[in-house]
Amino acid sequence: MEKQNESNFYREYEVFSKKNEKSPIQHQFSLLAPNDDMALNMAQENFMRREKVLDVWVVPRNHIRSMNSEERLQWTNRLDNKDYRSTKGYGYLRKKWSEKEQGMLDEKEIMSWKEVKKS
Amino acid sequence: MYNYGGTLAADNVDEDKEKYARFMERVEAGEKIEADDWMPDEYRQTLIKLISMHGISEIMGALPEKEWVPKAPTVKRKLGIMAKVQDEMGHGQLLLRVAEDLMKPYGKNRESLMEDLLNGDLKFHNVFHMPTRTWADAGMVGWLVDGAAIISQTNMLDASYGPYQRALKRICQEEVFHAQHGEAIIMALAEGTKEQRRILQESLNNWWPSLLMFFGPESASTTGSSKQEVTTKYRIRKSSNEELRQAFLDKYLPRVFSLGLTVPDETVHYDEEKQRWIYQQPDWNEFKQIISNNGPRSKERLRLREIAYENNRWVRQALAPQVVVS
Amino acid sequence: MKSFETVEQAKQNPAYYEALTELLYQLADDDFIISFRGSEWLGLAPHIEEDVAFSSITQNTMGHAFLYYQLLEDLGEGKVDALAHERAPEQRRNASYFEKKNGEGSYYGEPWYDWALTVVRQFLYETMKKVKLEAAVKSSYEPLANTAQKVLMEQPYHLAHWKMWMQQLLSSTEEAQEKIQARLEEAWEEGKDIYDLGPKAQDIVHHQLISGESELKQRWLQEVQATIKDLPADSLGDKFGSGRSGEHTADLDQALQTLAEVYDSDRYAVW
Repeated sequence: MEKQNESNFYREYEVFSKKNEKSPIQHQFSLLAPNDDMALNMAQENFMRREKVLDVWVVPRNHIRSMNSEERLQWTNRLDNKDYRSTKGYGYLRKKWSEKEQGMLDEKEIMSWKEVKKS
Repeated sequence: MYNYGGTLAADNVDEDKEKYARFMERVEAGEKIEADDWMPDEYRQTLIKLISMHGISEIMGALPEKEWVPKAPTVKRKLGIMAKVQDEMGHGQLLLRVAEDLMKPYGKNRESLMEDLLNGDLKFHNVFHMPTRTWADAGMVGWLVDGAAIISQTNMLDASYGPYQRALKRICQEEVFHAQHGEAIIMALAEGTKEQRRILQESLNNWWPSLLMFFGPESASTTGSSKQEVTTKYRIRKSSNEELRQAFLDKYLPRVFSLGLTVPDETVHYDEEKQRWIYQQPDWNEFKQIISNNGPRSKERLRLREIAYENNRWVRQALAPQVVVS
Repeated sequence: MKSFETVEQAKQNPAYYEALTELLYQLADDDFIISFRGSEWLGLAPHIEEDVAFSSITQNTMGHAFLYYQLLEDLGEGKVDALAHERAPEQRRNASYFEKKNGEGSYYGEPWYDWALTVVRQFLYETMKKVKLEAAVKSSYEPLANTAQKVLMEQPYHLAHWKMWMQQLLSSTEEAQEKIQARLEEAWEEGKDIYDLGPKAQDIVHHQLISGESELKQRWLQEVQATIKDLPADSLGDKFGSGRSGEHTADLDQALQTLAEVYDSDRYAVW
């Protein structure tokens, strides 16, 4: 037997959006809707009616495996001893290179390499 | 009081004590509590009462202003007030989502909230039980009622409960538009014809007691109940009812007077020595009556909500995903 | 056929001017009355999320009416607010089907508004609007073509919204299907003026302001049929006359009285 239960109309969706091509997808809020299409159709006007939007995602909340309270508490901590993973551990190079009259290939320098001289 | 379905079964009491201590530590350190974090029952109950009332008040608050949406005197004003009332519905949406997540452990949802409103268990704010008689009232709601709401909402912008704090941040950002929308209507009336000024003053006279009542009584002894101590203990809000009322008077009375308007209380003045506004207390018995759904428009507003809810039930039933029952 | 780039050019040709203003009144009044009926729903939709989304569509639509009234103001027909608030029912050119009340009762009493009527009407209206806009983009009056281009930017969302409601209700319960079907049949009895261009239709088409009625109707029915398979068999009727000729119902009187209540309390005041 099939039953129309009005409560099922209120399904939970999490809403995500992307502001522009360079920005990542960002969580906005949650809404209630009976199905994916309706959730998507309502999302923009409910949460982004005053801002530019390039893309919107809706995800049924029960499809998201998020950390639970305990996991957030226990899994997100790290020791602060990982200089080897970042540039912090290689700061001494700046002095070395300057002795050899060379500049440091730091973030600013490397990110500026997107333009290369035309031949 | 709002009865949302009783308390959850208590865990082991000793374990709870330990959890409670850790919880309070987090709250006092300014950390945000999330929906699935452990929280004391009192905290959850306080939040449910506060946020569901806040949310449903936004929904009910759309109704008195909405009466003036199609009637607004110019096309631009029609658009402005429509956008504003839409925001109120939107704020209701944000807040009810927060409340619904908190109520989930009790098996309650949006439907239960609407039903609790209609059967009188869930109350809404005193100001939304009042009539909006003229266009000036529509402006007054946008200016001073929203002004009062801004004062009480910004006071909770650092609330310990993460989802509420994030919803409030969105809401307060939109309130900036609301504040200016209300001011624009009022300014046009204040600088307008004799009749426009007359309805403006009349409106302020009518709304004055409701505005004072907005923040609730100074202490529990006035009406027999007050949640202010609990909400400050859990760092949900920072200030007391009276502090908020004083902040409202501080911000808005000078603006009221600068427009050449008066308030219907000859004793109103700023006491330099006490550093506070002196005013006549509104009738707190009337306040109790109003928020018990015995205000001038309580029944009509609830009826509107009921009609909207019942009349569209077939739509929700039609689109509710089917569940196979064996 | 030459195009008219400016107000001055349009005014130099009285026949052109008359056909142009006639069409602009139809477009403006349609959007205005539809957005008025939409604004009455505010706070009363089937659920909160829909209420918010619907209101955005209503605001956009009233914004479109404003743009058309602005074109009329530019042509010397009067101020936007005067055009929106002061014109008598017989001067209004909206389709009479669009002025129909949302249901029994009124907002100030007991509003027993019918979501089925709203879904059917909004869907029929948005499909027609799309067809008309696509034709108006090629209009000989450039300011109209430009406005149509602008409106076409945000209109697809409106159409998608109501198409979704139509499709979902049509594939849901028997009760919902019956309600939609009944409102569709009603629309077919009353809605001829949805595509009707009124007594000046020939002039409007002659001056290449927009496509002809039969083309508009055909393209509209195609759009509608893509979503609704079982349309009423009859051709559309004009039970309440044609709004394009200024024939209107008491429902329009109610709308205009409400819309202009405050405005009329002092037409010369600054609000």
